[in-house]
Amino acid sequence: MFRRLLQLLNREQKSKSVAKSRLQLILVQDRTGIDEEIMESLQIELTEVLSKYFILEREQVEVELEREQDSMALVANIPVLGTKVRHPVEA
Amino acid sequence: MGKVIVVTSGKGGVGKSTSTANLGTALAVLGKKVAVVDADVGLRNLDVIMGLESRVVYTSMDVLEGVCELEQALVKDRRTKDLYLLAASQKNNKSDIQPEQMKKLCLELKETHDYVLVDSPAGIEQGFQNAAAGADDALVVTTPEVAAVRDADRIIGLLQNMAINNLVLIINRLSPEMVKTGDMMEPTDIIDILSIDLIGVIPEDKEIVVSTNRGMPTTYNHKSDAGQAYKRIAQRLEGEDIPIPEFKSGGFAGWVGKLFKG
Ligand SMILES: Nc1ncnc2c1ncn2[C@@H]1O[C@H](COP(=O)(O)OP(=O)(O)O)[C@@H](O)[C@H]1O
Ligand SMILES: [Mg+2]
Repeated sequence: MFRRLLQLLNREQKSKSVAKSRLQLILVQDRTGIDEEIMESLQIELTEVLSKYFILEREQVEVELEREQDSMALVANIPVLGTKVRHPVEA
Repeated sequence: MGKVIVVTSGKGGVGKSTSTANLGTALAVLGKKVAVVDADVGLRNLDVIMGLESRVVYTSMDVLEGVCELEQALVKDRRTKDLYLLAASQKNNKSDIQPEQMKKLCLELKETHDYVLVDSPAGIEQGFQNAAAGADDALVVTTPEVAAVRDADRIIGLLQNMAINNLVLIINRLSPEMVKTGDMMEPTDIIDILSIDLIGVIPEDKEIVVSTNRGMPTTYNHKSDAGQAYKRIAQRLEGEDIPIPEFKSGGFAGWVGKLFKG
């Protein structure tokens, strides 16, 4: 509710905040050389592999490169509905 | 033995030449022996900003080709003691000079000067490579805009690859009013993103244009905010501890935002 109120007061996000978040996204791509396309195929392959072991909610899978200060993290949100493995997989 | 500092940015038109001219002048006013070097071969303009264009006889190209001695090519600025300009050739291309040659030139200059400021051309190609070749340190110039900061990030990466690790940032053309209303990124936003140290903020200032018209660096103008900001950067380069004024967004919306955030 506060959020709504704030949005009303602010009308729209200040342009400097938009600039900052756009920059952060651009720089993640610039610095790693990883673009949207690569992220997409990573997500598809990752989902493929994980599906061997888990029942996933495929439409909800999210994989993102995030940047904080001078470190980078691959952040994935992968909802699991169940598991497909009963026994530990043999090597 | 002095040091060579390359003034660079990636993006064009953000204030590299203006910064080189003003910092060179400010450092000389502080009593340092300074050489400013125009590395923008083919598009020289440092001589014009400094008002020395009519006295340029030789260029760095002439020195490299053995047409004259380095000493002869240095144009002495008559307004301030110990300030010299080495102009760039206007009729050559950036590819006519090799990084090794620039490096040698810089080495020679820093033997006799406290500071050698090299004004880099825009871009990340040969011209930039030449300008940075002999540098010990770098001043990265940006404006508070997305494209300029993006290019600054790229340049910082390239400088680090060249083992130039002492990098500091100048934010130029900042409008305190726009920062206040939240319509311009503030210095902390930019520092967060680039993660390098800030050495100064130069406000947007009409005096820059006026002084460039006159060929008289803004640093000489005691009433100009930008001129004074350059003076403070020179003092910080000299190791003086002078705080950087804060520019922050504020106003009603910001205040309400803080209140509700708790
Ligand atoms: N702080 C400032 N306030 C107003 N105008 C500025 C400021 N800094 C630079 N300028 C103007 O911006 C233009 C580009 O500056 P310049 O130093 O030539 O950039 P660069 O060398 O990076 O291409 C010039 O016309 C200059 O007068
Ligand atoms: Mg220039």
